[in-house]
Amino acid sequence: MAESRIQQSEIFHFVSRNQHELLANQQHSQANVSIHRKSGFGKTAISKFLSEPITVIWLIVLILIVGAAIIGPLIIHYDPNHIDAALQNQAPSFAHFFGTDKLGRDLFVRTCTGLQVSLLVAIVSTILSIVFGTVYGVIMAVAGGWVDEVMMRIIEIFNSIPSLLITMILMAVLGNGIVALLFAIAITSWADAARQTRGLVMQLRNLDYVTAAKMLDTPFWRTTTRHFVPNMMSILILDIGQSIPDNIFAEASLSFLGLGLQPPNTSLGILISVGQDQMLQHPYQLYVPIIVLILLVLAFNIVGDGVRDALDPKYQDK
Amino acid sequence: MLKMILRRAVELLISLFLIASATFFLLAAIPGDALSAQTNRLPEQARKQVYKNSGLNKPVMTRYVITMDNMVHGKFGESIVTPGQTMTKVLKEKLPASARLGIQQMLFGIPLGLIMGVLAAIYKNHWIDRFVTVLSLLLMSVPSLVIGLLLQSYFGGKLGWFPIIGWPEGNQLWWGGWSYTILPTLAGGIGYIAGYARLLKNSMLDVLGSDYIQTAYAKGLSGRSVILHHIIRNAFIPVTTSLPVSIAFGITGSVFVESIFVIPGVGQFFVQALTNRDVPIVLGETVLLAALYIVTLFITDILYTVIDPRIKLYES
Repeated sequence: MAESRIQQSEIFHFVSRNQHELLANQQHSQANVSIHRKSGFGKTAISKFLSEPITVIWLIVLILIVGAAIIGPLIIHYDPNHIDAALQNQAPSFAHFFGTDKLGRDLFVRTCTGLQVSLLVAIVSTILSIVFGTVYGVIMAVAGGWVDEVMMRIIEIFNSIPSLLITMILMAVLGNGIVALLFAIAITSWADAARQTRGLVMQLRNLDYVTAAKMLDTPFWRTTTRHFVPNMMSILILDIGQSIPDNIFAEASLSFLGLGLQPPNTSLGILISVGQDQMLQHPYQLYVPIIVLILLVLAFNIVGDGVRDALDPKYQDK
Repeated sequence: MLKMILRRAVELLISLFLIASATFFLLAAIPGDALSAQTNRLPEQARKQVYKNSGLNKPVMTRYVITMDNMVHGKFGESIVTPGQTMTKVLKEKLPASARLGIQQMLFGIPLGLIMGVLAAIYKNHWIDRFVTVLSLLLMSVPSLVIGLLLQSYFGGKLGWFPIIGWPEGNQLWWGGWSYTILPTLAGGIGYIAGYARLLKNSMLDVLGSDYIQTAYAKGLSGRSVILHHIIRNAFIPVTTSLPVSIAFGITGSVFVESIFVIPGVGQFFVQALTNRDVPIVLGETVLLAALYIVTLFITDILYTVIDPRIKLYES
């Protein structure tokens, strides 16, 4: 008895000493991390981002496009839906920067309104789909077992039903407004994010520091915010970078086919489809919305690549 | 292996059942149906008769049971909007156009993309690499819809080299009538170039950084033989596994290219059926597309194990 007690106390002593060391180490490393963060990561990322001239140029282009879309209609007071028979199919001029269409509507204001829709889709639909997909993926990975299996089947079913069908049905049920469109696009694009998140969390879950956190009785939300989310950042940024152009394309294509927004709403897709009618007589009516769309997506693509390279530690060393 | 195939087949049937049910109820949830537009000016008596003829007067659950029962027996039923049109007929008439378009697009785009990817990886940081990077970024930023419209207005309209719309029919269905097919092929094929160039370049760069390539060089193999036997072979794994999905989607038609060039294919017909709320046709196409998609995924899984023996499926 006495012997074992001694041993126990020795063990306790050993453990507690080890814990002290651990704590000290942790404090040390935390201090390190905070120092690193202050002087390192953010600054390095920003300077890395700004050191690429092409990225910076396209960032400026993106800011200009966004600025024009927001400020343009405030300065130039044409109603995007005002029909004027005297102003049909005018070429670009000082009064009408991009000319007018076959109903005499000012194309500059209409393009700005369309851009606003595209930007709204780019931001709102992407946030909706990424947030939902990420939460869904984390739940799948953490729950495991039959829950995971069932949720995976749901993804498979979602992927195999043509997305046009889902979009059309949602638009029909919710009405042909912009809110319905935002939801419809988000709902058809969350599955990839969910799948990737699931795979990553499955990997992370088995790492030693997550096990350690679990053994220290860390609440689950804390493990998620402290360990899972930071590790998912690079995948999330990649996803966001891919989703934004995809969602802009989806809106333009759906509206072009007449399945998305309906007139009197305006979007780049609607402008392109109106321009298509006048393609041979007044080609600028087709080229203006097309060039704006391409510039917008190109800017998002290049800036997105730049942000990814700047934030990803894998690229940062180089 | 046999056990796995059986298991996947059962899963396929369950998934298809769920997909068909989901589609049916979603379509039923939309206000209005295939006949409401045609019949709202008819007298009450006649409208009831029309509805009775098509079976749309029955309650939703009864229609659901009837539809499912027919589907189990392999019948998708007649179109409500255009009587006499069935799924079999649709596939016979519409699929060849879509399939030919898809095959031509892939034959044009995928090899070009692969060559560009290989060159970009081998000549990294050379002007070739930069050219491929810029080109694929540019192509990625232009949707096939826009490429189609631009090609149409320039080569079809301004220069008048090619017909603007249309598609070869009759005995030219599979071969001939090339002038009609060139613009749609370019419009859709360009998307494959960017995708496959980027995919192959990234996977080749991954392989280039791995240890066994260093070993191969250390053994004294020539640069050519390392590239051919070690790098390209390994780098093609992601390409081979994404090919089946490309093919499955390619031959079943692209809605946008088909609607710009007015090609009588499956994609355009699907959109029409959807706008008309033609439940039997929409259901039929959805179930067939879903089946094709799931089977393709299964083939991809098998391909993985064949190409890369390190990957094992369903270890017991």
